[in-house]
Amino acid sequence: MASVRLRGIGKSFGDQEVIKGIDLDIADGEFVVLVGPSGCGKTTLLRIIAGLESPTKGEIDIDGRRSNDIAAARRGMAMVFQSYALYPHMTVAENMGFALKLAGVAKEEIAASVSRAADILQIGHLLDRRPKALSGGQRQRVAIGRAIVRRPGVFLFDEPLSNLDAALRAQTRVEIARLHKELKTTTIYVTHDQAEAMTLGEKIVVLNAGIIEQAGTPLDLYARPANRFVAGFLGSPRMNFLDAQLESIAESDTLLVSVRLTDGTLVHVAANTNRAESGTSVTLGVRPEQFTVMPRDPAPGAIAAKVAVIEHLGDSMIVYAQVEGMPDLMAVKCGADAPVPPVGSGISLAFRPTHAHLFDPHGVAFAPD
Amino acid sequence: MTGKAAPGQASRRGASGAGAAFLMLAPFLFVFVLFFLAPALQTFIMSLTESSLTRTNAFIGLANYATLMHDPAFWNSLRHTLYFAVLTVMPLAVLGLVMAMLVDHFQRGRSLLQASFFLPFVLPVSVMTLIVDWMLHPAFGLVNHIVGGERAWLADRDWAMPAVALGTIWWTVGFNMLLFLAALRNIPADLYEAATLDGANRLQLFRHITWPALRPTFGMALILQLIASFKIFGQTYILTGGGPFNTTRVTLHYMYETAFVQSDAGYAAAIAMAFVVVVTCLSLSQIGIMNWLGRRGG
Amino acid sequence: MRSTAALPWTLVALTASAALALLWLAPLLWAASTALRPEHETVSAVFHWLPQTWTLDAFAKVFAAGSLPRWLFNSALVALLVTMLTMAVSITAAYAFSQMTFRGKRWLFALSMIAFMLPFESLIVPLFRLMNQLRLIDTYAGIVLPQLVSPVTIYVFKQFFDAVPGDFRDAAVMDGASPWQVLRYVYLPVSGNIVWAMSIVVFIGAWNNFLWPFIVITSSEMMTIPLGLTQTQDAFGVRYAQMMAAALLGGTPVALAYVLFQRRVTEGMLAATGLKG
Repeated sequence: MASVRLRGIGKSFGDQEVIKGIDLDIADGEFVVLVGPSGCGKTTLLRIIAGLESPTKGEIDIDGRRSNDIAAARRGMAMVFQSYALYPHMTVAENMGFALKLAGVAKEEIAASVSRAADILQIGHLLDRRPKALSGGQRQRVAIGRAIVRRPGVFLFDEPLSNLDAALRAQTRVEIARLHKELKTTTIYVTHDQAEAMTLGEKIVVLNAGIIEQAGTPLDLYARPANRFVAGFLGSPRMNFLDAQLESIAESDTLLVSVRLTDGTLVHVAANTNRAESGTSVTLGVRPEQFTVMPRDPAPGAIAAKVAVIEHLGDSMIVYAQVEGMPDLMAVKCGADAPVPPVGSGISLAFRPTHAHLFDPHGVAFAPD
Repeated sequence: MTGKAAPGQASRRGASGAGAAFLMLAPFLFVFVLFFLAPALQTFIMSLTESSLTRTNAFIGLANYATLMHDPAFWNSLRHTLYFAVLTVMPLAVLGLVMAMLVDHFQRGRSLLQASFFLPFVLPVSVMTLIVDWMLHPAFGLVNHIVGGERAWLADRDWAMPAVALGTIWWTVGFNMLLFLAALRNIPADLYEAATLDGANRLQLFRHITWPALRPTFGMALILQLIASFKIFGQTYILTGGGPFNTTRVTLHYMYETAFVQSDAGYAAAIAMAFVVVVTCLSLSQIGIMNWLGRRGG
Repeated sequence: MRSTAALPWTLVALTASAALALLWLAPLLWAASTALRPEHETVSAVFHWLPQTWTLDAFAKVFAAGSLPRWLFNSALVALLVTMLTMAVSITAAYAFSQMTFRGKRWLFALSMIAFMLPFESLIVPLFRLMNQLRLIDTYAGIVLPQLVSPVTIYVFKQFFDAVPGDFRDAAVMDGASPWQVLRYVYLPVSGNIVWAMSIVVFIGAWNNFLWPFIVITSSEMMTIPLGLTQTQDAFGVRYAQMMAAALLGGTPVALAYVLFQRRVTEGMLAATGLKG
């Protein structure tokens, strides 16, 4: 078990600054997910934590000890690579026992540790095979098994599910979560998939262009995104964004704010905007499941739209509607049994003021207080 | 708690990095410095001295080079080397190409055919010279049996070098064949199929597809062969001893004689330096010609 | 390879191939034919393509004369030593250039590649002096050591190591491997083929090396085959069958190496010129 602390970590490759100053605390036993789009620096950050890259600036502390100069081989961390990186010329057992062999552990002990790990992952029957005789899912388990055998202080996962098909991905996700509950090892998990982040992480760290946009629990980030990027990154289908202008601020306990959309509609949002003045351009954000489809005859506070496409997913329905003046379609999530509005018909999208988000011209959220 | 090195500069990850690298390189560094760099420097320094094979006598500056410039034996040796190159470079390239195309044509029996052409190349020079010498024997040799006469080819002023050249062609063409085989294999088959469907005959296929694709390799083969032919020593030394009347004494042979027979190591070093200059010029021109060919070939 | 050839072209190719192949094999076949006949037949007035009497007499005599077995041994020992040591030196250097970071890496690599252009022939005088000072003239060490500098081999291995996905190295590092262990457990096992190919190429080159052994060897007992064979002319005088027998014996090991490992030799030679096969 180990805690990890990053202070002011930066990394440049030549003139390209990939990581721009990251502070992060990872507690002992915590499952932290680093999530973000391609190129945001999450894999680089993982490699810096592993010791495979050196930071250009900043400090890494492992278990309270400054570890910048400790070689990767001695940080007590195990990594599961995106490509699995199983040694092709070794059997599964040899792959899993390699670290112990390098450490000079006795053969019997290696065999015992390997078979223990193999049992946990149910790959005991594959121990004598070579990697090329395994399926993708099996290789993945062996990669995880190789990490487990060492009983490291920290597990590092680098997009481990991205090479698996959808069904296997969902299944393995659950297994990784179960593994963490059982072994309780500090885990740092990198992915670009927001669903993995939401389901696996005890804490999510959203990265973008080398900086941390926001860090917190999944539900925290989902319900209270700090900025437009985080709001649009988590959740599928993505949060709907509409351009608007601050109209007036109601002086009341609920801090209701009026906002005029481009088509002239006036809607209300619960947000703390005390630093902004009327007329400021803002962005209104409403999640697909926070919209309700109403028949046309716009009720006050609802948005007029025209149905463009409907997707039936079996367990739910997504209605895509065109709002005048907005280039992107609005996505609305409805129950499978909800009435299906005809394509091309006019509808009204209603939402509760407390279930919407408001973002300033820089994308920062006006948090509801 | 000071900040790390400036952006762009990787911070060192502890002494194990550089130390381990040094250990890993140690064997190479040992042989490289001792048996290459040091001798290379020494050749240069020796060329500025008057030395015997075992002892350096006096520093004489560029005197050796001055002598070299006016030394007919040196320039003749260069001439002979050039003559040898002219006799071998083009034939080796052309023949290598022909053989490669023949080998490439066949599926069955291909490795047998390839081996027939390549086998001589793996033989040591003195095996080659024994066999060639026997073939060219004036009285009992195979060559004279076929062409008639009793000519002693290797003792003949006009025929010695061509004979050595012919033997060398037999000996080394396999390598060029290999180069062209690799290049041929890189030509996509679809090009030929498309052209055949368009009605091209074999000659046209060669002219419009094979040759343009091979041109860079052909150029490279010419240059490689040119450089290699300047470096010959064994064949002429063994077959003719540089004769008759030094007509086959190539530059390296002259250098060897100067150093080991006349024990004039300083002068020999000057010859070596001149030799290096010539070969380096050729090597550099290879890069130039390859670029030129690449731009033309497309 | 090419689509179905028109019949005339195949005939042309076949004829040309047969003719050229025969032409190319002729010297060796003729040497064999000479070696397999009794001495008096080699100098007979009437020319015979094939021996009238087949005999291994020449070979027996060559062996009995004593020196050839010794030379074969020397060549084998030298070639093996050169091969193993060159592999050791080159693989470690290539690994360092490919996978390790240290100051001046690019410099050093460039320097060793420039050395590639510098002809070995220009170094023989100072090398001779050095060997003389070290008292290594006419010793195995003296023959072997200068042959270990092989920029080509380093270059080939470096290219190969560069192409191995970095994840394997990272995984081994995470497993706690030192650079030596990464080389031993990850890079070497996957480079089996190329190690074979280069080993055979280096072996053949070492066996055939003439110039340096010629310079550094002074006694007949230490001679390698290429050197020893030059002596046969004087030793055997006009015993042509024996000369041919000696030639064939001297060339057989490398010829065998080629025939047995034809594909690997081809692979290695092509790698050495920088072309992919």
